[in-house]
Amino acid sequence: MTRLRSLVTARLTPFVVAGLLVLVGAYGLWQAQELRSTTAAENLAVVDATLTAEIQSFVTTGLNQVLTYDYTDPEATTSAADQVLAGDARDEYDTLFADLQEKAPGQQLKLTAVVQSVAVKEATQDSAVVLVFLDQTSQRVTDNQGSVSAAQLSVTVEKSDNTWSITELQPL
Amino acid sequence: MRQQIQTAGELAADQTEEEHETSSLTSTEASTDASEADPAPDTSLPSGAGAGDTGSTTRTARPTLGVLALIIGAVIAIVGSWWWWSAAHDDQLAAAQDRDSVLIAGTEGIETLNTLDHRDPAADLAAWEDVTTGQMQDGIAAIDDNQRQMLADEQKIATAEVVDAAVLDLDLKSDRATVVAAVEITVVDDATPDSEPTLKRNRFSAQMKLVDGEWKIENLQQVAVSLS
Repeated sequence: MTRLRSLVTARLTPFVVAGLLVLVGAYGLWQAQELRSTTAAENLAVVDATLTAEIQSFVTTGLNQVLTYDYTDPEATTSAADQVLAGDARDEYDTLFADLQEKAPGQQLKLTAVVQSVAVKEATQDSAVVLVFLDQTSQRVTDNQGSVSAAQLSVTVEKSDNTWSITELQPL
Repeated sequence: MRQQIQTAGELAADQTEEEHETSSLTSTEASTDASEADPAPDTSLPSGAGAGDTGSTTRTARPTLGVLALIIGAVIAIVGSWWWWSAAHDDQLAAAQDRDSVLIAGTEGIETLNTLDHRDPAADLAAWEDVTTGQMQDGIAAIDDNQRQMLADEQKIATAEVVDAAVLDLDLKSDRATVVAAVEITVVDDATPDSEPTLKRNRFSAQMKLVDGEWKIENLQQVAVSLS
């Protein structure tokens, strides 16, 4: 009896040890998964320097073009809008732009936008939410009136077909 | 158990035989492959034979299966532990946590530094000192009784709320970060009780510094309009 038992034990031991090792491995994998799936870990903003710089550069160039307007050359603004804007941002912009197109030629209006900073708040490989500080000057050639304003915007961008576009523009 | 192992061993033996057969049927190129592949099953068998049993393939396969299970178990254990260790020591994961904690500290700090109630300025100034560090903290600590009295005499209650904030940059080598925020400040003027509160929109940039594990504001600037 004892001989049989020790024989069975001897044969089973490697499998029991192997089972324990598998458990150790599985626990490690589970812990790693827990660490990598937190909200902080899934947000690539700032920590992925390349992605962050890419988003910052797109938003800076895009907003500078789209929010800069010269009554003598409105097409420059509209073609930029075609390239840069999509979704809700596009719809809102069209409404705003129609209004501008009515007034601008009469007042000989020029708007210049300069993005001061783009801070990336949330980012994945194909979407991001950023906080933008923007300065805008407006000049009316007719009465030589000018004004300077500071703006804060929450901007949502999305990437599809390898191209970024601005899908939401929320003044704060 | 024993029966299963034997079957598995027989199967393995059968497969080896099949390999030989198929390889002999195929072209000369394949047969050179087979001759290269041949040593593989042979080398795995002696480890079983070394365990004591003599002769047939079925018997020698028995301990090999245990060894195989141990190897697979060990590989899984090593891979799992390695993944866990690498996740725990991942710089990007650590930075992500720092980014989130500096954003929280920055948001709270910017709100605190834009909040002042004339009815109890001492409490607010103590809170200001609490969220700052370095020269800025020294400056707040140096506000004397006269200046405190002036603040009290202004009869204003300023309350700040961060509308939106984000981390602009994070440098973990020097333990510094920049947090930018869009802030709405409500000012109630108690000197003219019937007046409506005034609302101000401001944008701020806060230099943050990690001091004893806590992010503090080293410098707070309004982001002024600059058209260059």
